[in-house]
Amino acid sequence: MNSISKRIDYTLLKPTSTEREIIDLCHEAILNDFHSICINSSYVSLAKQLLERSDIKICTVVGFPLGATSTEAKVFEAKKAVEDGADEIEMVINLGFLKSKNYVSVLKDISDVKIAINKIPLKVILEISELSKNEIIKAAEICIDGRADYIKTSSGFSKGGATLTATKIIKKTVKDRTKIQASGAIEDIETALKYLDSGVHRISMTSIPKTTKSLRKYSKKA
Amino acid sequence: MENLSQYIDHTLLSATATSDAIKQLCEEAKTYQFHAVCVNSCYASLANEQLKNSQVKVCCVVGFPLGAMSTEAKVAETKQAILDGAEEIDMVINLGYLKSKNFDDVWTDIEEVKKCIPNGTLKVILETCYLDDIEIIKASELAIQSGADYIKTSTGFGTSGATIHVVKIMKSVAQDYAKVKASGGIKDYETAKEYINLGVERIGTSSGIAIVTGISSSNKTY
Repeated sequence: MNSISKRIDYTLLKPTSTEREIIDLCHEAILNDFHSICINSSYVSLAKQLLERSDIKICTVVGFPLGATSTEAKVFEAKKAVEDGADEIEMVINLGFLKSKNYVSVLKDISDVKIAINKIPLKVILEISELSKNEIIKAAEICIDGRADYIKTSSGFSKGGATLTATKIIKKTVKDRTKIQASGAIEDIETALKYLDSGVHRISMTSIPKTTKSLRKYSKKA
Repeated sequence: MENLSQYIDHTLLSATATSDAIKQLCEEAKTYQFHAVCVNSCYASLANEQLKNSQVKVCCVVGFPLGAMSTEAKVAETKQAILDGAEEIDMVINLGYLKSKNFDDVWTDIEEVKKCIPNGTLKVILETCYLDDIEIIKASELAIQSGADYIKTSTGFGTSGATIHVVKIMKSVAQDYAKVKASGGIKDYETAKEYINLGVERIGTSSGIAIVTGISSSNKTY
């Protein structure tokens, strides 16, 4: 059970989330011993206070969920989040630049953020529901060049979330050069396990009841 | 007809919008003499370049569409957008703080952005689809008191856009202290006219051409 819960990014990104909900999220993350929580950047300092004495990491999003903010804005948002206590940064790739085949700007967007946060792990969200197979491969290659630590499938705010087909394409492209995070509509451990078996390192999950229930079921089985 | 076009912020905010699509948006804005183009901040400089020697303004969104990024990140995004040529900023209010009744931080968030654009136009998007009537009144008051030049209904990425009911509430709070921008789902001349008759001074839409030429879906059936 431990090894699975430590693969989970417990996520709350909806814009109307209250401070109360962030507090609950942090407590649930501690109770379930998740790897990290993932929240919007305006709540990083609150989460930092709540998680100070735990080993739960704080992950926050940058240029989220469209990825269409200026590179300078992403860099600043990332730096500020790290200052506030973020342990991991997730940025959304610039989909407009990617679709315009302006790969130089896509790369610069990623590498500028990585340079700014240096040793802090950087995850790049591809938003696979908007991309063709070839675009996924191209985007994954650019992520490697930009020194991304993880490639993440989805923001959770687009048409669809992770698919096994997409994570397999990404895995085949990146091999072991970056890790992979699957996100969007993964609600139970059975599904999570399928992704983990296919070479995914981290899973985003938003729903605690199903998670804990399945986790308990799984730990009994194990 | 001519002055109707001056109500229009010609808008393209889709995450996958290409540079060619932005160029076309700018050409259309010049042809139809729209008030502004409204784009994501990664395209502010491109739009500015395209609109040189024209009256059309560049309007940029900030903290878009969730409004949940840190205040410092919104400020940095705003400063860069202005540097890149934006004359108007549409920021999203921090909905989480609002729902938490943390009104001080909602206020500061807006005030800090307004400080970056003292002589320009700041519009604050309330994302009314997530708010009840009381929250709309409170959000309108907070936005106006913290320096908003306009209060704007919607991002176009929420569960719904402007409604007559919501615009009436916002107008009653704004009176002459601030202007109102209606956005989200306004696609034809009749709807635009209806909002303008209520005292709305700007319309955010991707259907600006249909609105000013009167070729709306309702007319097409004749």
